[in-house]
Amino acid sequence: MEPLTGMGVLALMGAAATIAGASEDLESDVGSQSNPNSQVQLAPQMMYPHRIHSKAVSGEPPSNALMCAIGGTTASVLVSTGASAALALAIGAIVAATIHGTYAATSYLGRSASQKRFKQPVYLDVMRSHIPVIMGYSFITTFCILVVSYLMATVLAHPFPLPLLAFIWGITVGAVGSSTGDVHYGAERQFQNVEYGSGLNAANSGNIVRKAESGLRNGIDNSWFCAKFGGPVTGLAFGMTVFLSGWITAVFDPSRGDAIGWVSVIAGVIIVLILILWNRNIEVAARKAYGTYKEDENEAEVAA
Amino acid sequence: MIDIAGILMDNILYVILITLGGVLISWSVHFVPVGGAPAAMAQATGIGTGTVQLAAGAGLTGLITAGAMMQITDNMALVLASGAAGAMIMISVTMMVGTWSYVYGVGCPPASAKVKYDPITKDRQDLYVSQGTEGHGLPTVSFVSGVIGGGLGGFGGSMVYYALMSIENGLALPDLVGIASIFAVGVFFVNAVIPSYNIGGTIEGFHDPKFKRFPRAVLSSLVATFFCAILGVLAIGGL
Repeated sequence: MEPLTGMGVLALMGAAATIAGASEDLESDVGSQSNPNSQVQLAPQMMYPHRIHSKAVSGEPPSNALMCAIGGTTASVLVSTGASAALALAIGAIVAATIHGTYAATSYLGRSASQKRFKQPVYLDVMRSHIPVIMGYSFITTFCILVVSYLMATVLAHPFPLPLLAFIWGITVGAVGSSTGDVHYGAERQFQNVEYGSGLNAANSGNIVRKAESGLRNGIDNSWFCAKFGGPVTGLAFGMTVFLSGWITAVFDPSRGDAIGWVSVIAGVIIVLILILWNRNIEVAARKAYGTYKEDENEAEVAA
Repeated sequence: MIDIAGILMDNILYVILITLGGVLISWSVHFVPVGGAPAAMAQATGIGTGTVQLAAGAGLTGLITAGAMMQITDNMALVLASGAAGAMIMISVTMMVGTWSYVYGVGCPPASAKVKYDPITKDRQDLYVSQGTEGHGLPTVSFVSGVIGGGLGGFGGSMVYYALMSIENGLALPDLVGIASIFAVGVFFVNAVIPSYNIGGTIEGFHDPKFKRFPRAVLSSLVATFFCAILGVLAIGGL
């Protein structure tokens, strides 16, 4: 393949992956999935009943992998019957979003109903308002992952079948989303009632913010907040993962010989080294800017 | 009738390679700094997700790059190295953006609660741990440990895939790729789950005292993957 075509396809994949990452994180914020959900579930037990949607369908990677594998399988079957790719991918994503919607509904009802003894109400209007949003986000995520997988399978001629590529990218987008954007939701948005600039003190566990900018807080308020930082950075992370892991072989095409293949591996290692140095740079800058939380005991004694 | 002993003897090298790949995956998971649910609330050092989830995310990204590489070359070392590179890129990008979330989103500097000084940078750690937490974010030692873990996981996963693809069989190539890749994903998950009993939710990397427990997981993985390898070789070799 022409290197320029390869780069063009890769850019398109990177863009689709960026949207997939952002919508994946916002989907988990609306429904409150993954690790921060532990606080949403804990809150009623600590006598803080709330109006936040709670859907721990599973960890984000398996639940996104399920969505994407369902979408990929449906699309793959439709393409094999002669349907156009755009139609097949859209229908695949609709099927996946519908199935995800059923999980979002049953898990909310199940979680909330099981906390009846802690006086946690089941809000039917929360279900009515949140589940279409969750399904909308999951449609966007699945469609974009299917676009990435379809481009890989057809244009870049990746040997893995479409459903398997969609499954793997589903696992990866879930892993990226629960590692990056969730921190913004779990550590900041849920605990805006404590001072900014520290981790959650274990003593405050379960004491999540329940009042919104107007009225009682719900999952859609949370996605509004996280769309300003958590969602976009998750998108960047997944977009970078897809783009950079493909970029090294698009620029240094291993089909031109093993030596070029080794150069692509070295390019990957150099990217990783740059990221290590960047992380170190941020670490030093953050420590300098924020300072310490407590005084050094030895120094305090000397000063005294 | 399938000649079980014959298939196994012909492919004994691949049984060994698959088992070795599984052991590498199991070892690699101990390097990955995961803080589980507490880390998502900036309550523990590491990435805010589960052990299996992140290790699988990185390792399977490596499998995708290894699969693409294997299509164009038979060079085993190159396939394994590209798998390691893909996984390392995924995990380092994720950790990098995780750092953004902790530093700019939550406003806390990276700090480890398991050691007083970072073994790599020699930076003081305990003063930067906020009250009531077990550290937060990704100090350099955890980042480097994660990169090593991702690399080893991608390397091991690619080794499993390479061995499965090399077994003698009568399958058409697309069918073989399908079966081998699904088997490789399965072996990866088996070996990503076993170490999580050692880790018990949180580990900061190779400087964490829990890291010393890895021989138990590696031994368990050796036994489990050996059986997986026999099944895989028989299933693919018998077709």
